[in-house]
Amino acid sequence: MHLPDGFLAPQLALALWLLTAVIVGIALRRLAASRDTAGAAGRPILMGLVGAFIFAAQMFNFPVAAGTSGHLLGGVLAGYLLGPWAGTIVMTTVIGVQALLFQDGGLLALGANIFNMGIIGTLGGTLIARALGLTLGDGRGARIGAAGVAGWLSVMAGAGVTTLQLGLSGTTDISVGLPAMLSVHLLIGVGEALITIAALTFIATAAPDLLGEESATKHSLLRRAAAGAGVTIAVIALATLFASTDPDGLDSVAQALGFSHFEAGTSFNLFAGYSIPGLDGTASTVVAALIGAAAIAGLLFGLSRLAASRSDKR
Amino acid sequence: MSRATPGGRDARAAVIAALLFILGIALLPMGAYVALAFSWFVVITAGAYVGISPLRLARRGAIALPFVLAALPVIFLRTDELLWSGTVGPLSLSISGAGLRIALTAVLKAWVSVQASIVLITYSDAPTIVTALRRMKLPDAIATSAGLTIRYLELLRDEARRMLRARTARSASPVGTGRERIGGSISWRARTTGNLVGSLFLRAYSRAQRIEEAAASRGATGSLSIGTLPAADPRLTIKVIGVLVLVLSLTLCGALLPRL
Repeated sequence: MHLPDGFLAPQLALALWLLTAVIVGIALRRLAASRDTAGAAGRPILMGLVGAFIFAAQMFNFPVAAGTSGHLLGGVLAGYLLGPWAGTIVMTTVIGVQALLFQDGGLLALGANIFNMGIIGTLGGTLIARALGLTLGDGRGARIGAAGVAGWLSVMAGAGVTTLQLGLSGTTDISVGLPAMLSVHLLIGVGEALITIAALTFIATAAPDLLGEESATKHSLLRRAAAGAGVTIAVIALATLFASTDPDGLDSVAQALGFSHFEAGTSFNLFAGYSIPGLDGTASTVVAALIGAAAIAGLLFGLSRLAASRSDKR
Repeated sequence: MSRATPGGRDARAAVIAALLFILGIALLPMGAYVALAFSWFVVITAGAYVGISPLRLARRGAIALPFVLAALPVIFLRTDELLWSGTVGPLSLSISGAGLRIALTAVLKAWVSVQASIVLITYSDAPTIVTALRRMKLPDAIATSAGLTIRYLELLRDEARRMLRARTARSASPVGTGRERIGGSISWRARTTGNLVGSLFLRAYSRAQRIEEAAASRGATGSLSIGTLPAADPRLTIKVIGVLVLVLSLTLCGALLPRL
């Protein structure tokens, strides 16, 4: 689900960078404000280690069927363990390091990837998990179950929003891409939910104090009802978003936002413009292609030699 | 060129160059294959300069190619510039030239951009890039978190590898009948994986605690942003201007050279 560069319209990629920067900025401020009140906020070393943990936990593949396996994404898990703001910062760095070190996701598309997985997945997912846990009664089981549901939602929302972004950029067709992406991620999301629940249950059993079971206080009925209403609105908004797979509607959005010219192009005409003066027709194209191929081969050979010699010197 | 000590070199010019160049590639219009080829030559030349051969770069760049699946629908669903239409079995299919151009352009842009970021990470290692980003006003909380994540990444991945090996040795694959099919139902498998994740978290947590105690006993302030930054690159401005000229000429190539 990490978008590479090249698939997003540059305006959209830059706009998402801006939006991501603003929201991450808010997360940083919230984190700085809560720095003195203990918790993960005042523990940068813990945040760094949890980032490395998320990386390593993504290696635990989960055999679903023969030849198919899913793995944890970990957004809601990180948010649950560290709190939504610290979790968002951790996932932001994880996604950034993935792009930088492993080319998992593009650099220009990094804003979009952080938005889809770090902000919608982690911040949104954790807030939904909290609200849902509150609605369900705020016991340990309810809260962990709510984290599982939020894990599933975060995967689905991330996949849906990614597809919408591709649709706006003109690189996919929403009416086919969205159902395809969502049906694939339906199962991936179930894996995410199950692993999140199992991991939190394990931690709650082995080290209950880590999960900050501070909320033994009973929340008022009013607060629970408000949280329930919040979750319902979020889910309905999400469902409406996914149900509106009307491509015409999206086209008009694309036009309004100015993306439509990405689809404009000259007529499709292979090999036009590749010709040698003095020769005409196919012969010219073939000769041009041969010369081009020889030049490219020579260049590649030369660069390989240069690379080898420079690599020796290092 | 000898590799400097981690964080010991001002890599801002390289980071800015990679970002601007990738932006330049993204801004190329659809079907600008000639300009894309030009950008690819720039990337492989830079790659050779830092010691990666074009072939290796191309292979590692293939990581972005599976994403073409996302662009497949536009090839078959668009109805403009039809190249072919007919029936395959019960399906009536058509291939759109415009759709093909969109998919091909996206894949090539992704492929060249990935190679550009591979050249960046080969030129300067991750801690150096984080230091450069710190100098470019990356917030301290993110820089510290990223620095520590990179520092402990291999350690925790090693730990995860050991746990995976232990799991493989004890519970078996979900396929097959008889002895090799030992693992339980899907929920059992998910629970086992979740337990691994949970216990890895506890190990990471206790490691963090030990590091925090050790750091506190040495007077740490909770930030990696201490000490002096490496000497600023005196030729940064001139390098950035050079990169801008390169990116502008790439944009001109995209606008002026023939498109298909």
